Amino acid sequence: MPTRTELAVAVALALLACAPAFAADVVAPAHPLDDPAAVKAAFAARIGHPVHVLTFSFGEHYADAIVQNDAAPDEFDRFEMAPGQPMKEGQPQKSGSVDCRKQIAFADVDLAVGARLLGEARAIAAANGYSKPENVELGADVFCNDFGWRARLTSEASSDAFLEIVWTPNGASPKARRMNNDGWAKVDMKTLAAGGANVATVPPKNEPAPTPGDGRTRDFTQGIEADLARVEATVGAPLAFKHISVDKAQLSVDVFPANSKKRVATWIVASDGGIRLWREDDTIPFDCNKPFAAGDVPIAQLPAMIAGAPALIPPMAAGSVRNVHIYRSGLCGAPHVFIEVEDERGYGNVEYDNRGKLVRAEVQ
Amino acid sequence: MRTRRLLFAVVVAFSTIAVAADAPPASDFAWPNLADFLKQLIAKIGSPVKVYKLEIDGDGKVDLWIQVRDKPDLVDSYEYDHGVVSPPIPVRFEHYPSVAAVDHHVIELTTIDFQRLPSMLATAKSKLGLPDARVSTIALERGDSSGFLTFSDIPIWTFSLSTPRHDGRVELSLDGKVLDADKD
Repeated sequence: MPTRTELAVAVALALLACAPAFAADVVAPAHPLDDPAAVKAAFAARIGHPVHVLTFSFGEHYADAIVQNDAAPDEFDRFEMAPGQPMKEGQPQKSGSVDCRKQIAFADVDLAVGARLLGEARAIAAANGYSKPENVELGADVFCNDFGWRARLTSEASSDAFLEIVWTPNGASPKARRMNNDGWAKVDMKTLAAGGANVATVPPKNEPAPTPGDGRTRDFTQGIEADLARVEATVGAPLAFKHISVDKAQLSVDVFPANSKKRVATWIVASDGGIRLWREDDTIPFDCNKPFAAGDVPIAQLPAMIAGAPALIPPMAAGSVRNVHIYRSGLCGAPHVFIEVEDERGYGNVEYDNRGKLVRAEVQ
Repeated sequence: MRTRRLLFAVVVAFSTIAVAADAPPASDFAWPNLADFLKQLIAKIGSPVKVYKLEIDGDGKVDLWIQVRDKPDLVDSYEYDHGVVSPPIPVRFEHYPSVAAVDHHVIELTTIDFQRLPSMLATAKSKLGLPDARVSTIALERGDSSGFLTFSDIPIWTFSLSTPRHDGRVELSLDGKVLDADKD
């Protein structure tokens, strides 16, 4: 006794034989999730020839598939479906844009499974405080692994929340993982079903609140001492610098936390004086992680150094300063000031040592 | 007088690119009127013209980088679109240009046979097996061919073509010999 799905596929295969005659009249079913066999039959009729499927996205409002022509393996097309609407011809895809070629024969795609998994994903989303997913997608992950059905859950309440559930193409062996501050963490499916992985349990990022601007517009090439003092007050400890970057509109400092050389935090001061922690990362092993203090470099001379830099490079006297970096030179030597100059023809570099002595001034 | 003679020679040499009656089978590419462009350019800046780089885009707009005659360490760009030549646009390089570097890179305009372009395009399409391909860009610059045989710092025409399903690139020497062809 054939099932409803098998009958629909048989109809679809029969349609394939006379596809050219019907192609212009293929209309998608009005309620795709209620009749996945009809969706598959519509795709089969619209495609009109044997194909393999690389991706198939399926929901009640929209479905699309990227397929490879079995008779011409370098031909890839995208077919789209909107409920109750005539299906358009496939859109050719650039062969070079198809990075992952994991695939499944069209005949083996079971959209009834897709509809069931979308229901499961929605139940999990509701139980755990995620937004209702619009669709599930059959395909591989971004690394071209794990070909199967995939639901991606996000949350309007938390932009950091992200949960992914993956099933095999026949809807078996579900596995889930969610993003947290330290990367991906596996989540047990029973825990998900019981609502034990609520969005609220995603640990919030431990970031200090930004300091709002003070209304005064700065040009950091005119001096940074006052704003370094403000950053120090925000951090709450003397600044142990790895790198200072300056341009007209932004001051950025990479600093080590107190008593640690294993982490480095980047603080940014905007031109309105607003201060925020942009990111915090592990330091790179064997990189120069020896801090320097503001007193180790001629910070007070910085405006004069910047103003005079273009004139020090003969062909670039009419140039302007692009940005300034202060960091330890060479193999973790003394901190130097590196001024990048530009004009309409190219770039140049001016370097001062930690005592304010000119080291070099030359075109790049 | 010398400039006038050169101008006449250049115009005669390139006039076929605009009105070539005996050119290879026409493609759907709207070739720019290079004869008009170069005539206007030489009238403006004189000759000789030393080409750093030439690029024609899919709409037939031309961007020509040439060595500045009285400041030979510098390069200016001139754009040509629908019969209009732009004022010189300073070209900024990542490494500050020098006379030696620019001298080494430029190609004498008189050594470029623009009449070959339509047949080169036909060759490129044939080599890629994409007879209906459209032009993305056609570029000329001195460089190393990425083909199996490496030619060092020679002028290379690069035809970048595309169809709805494929992108391809063919490199040819000034005399139309195929150096490399690549399709994805």
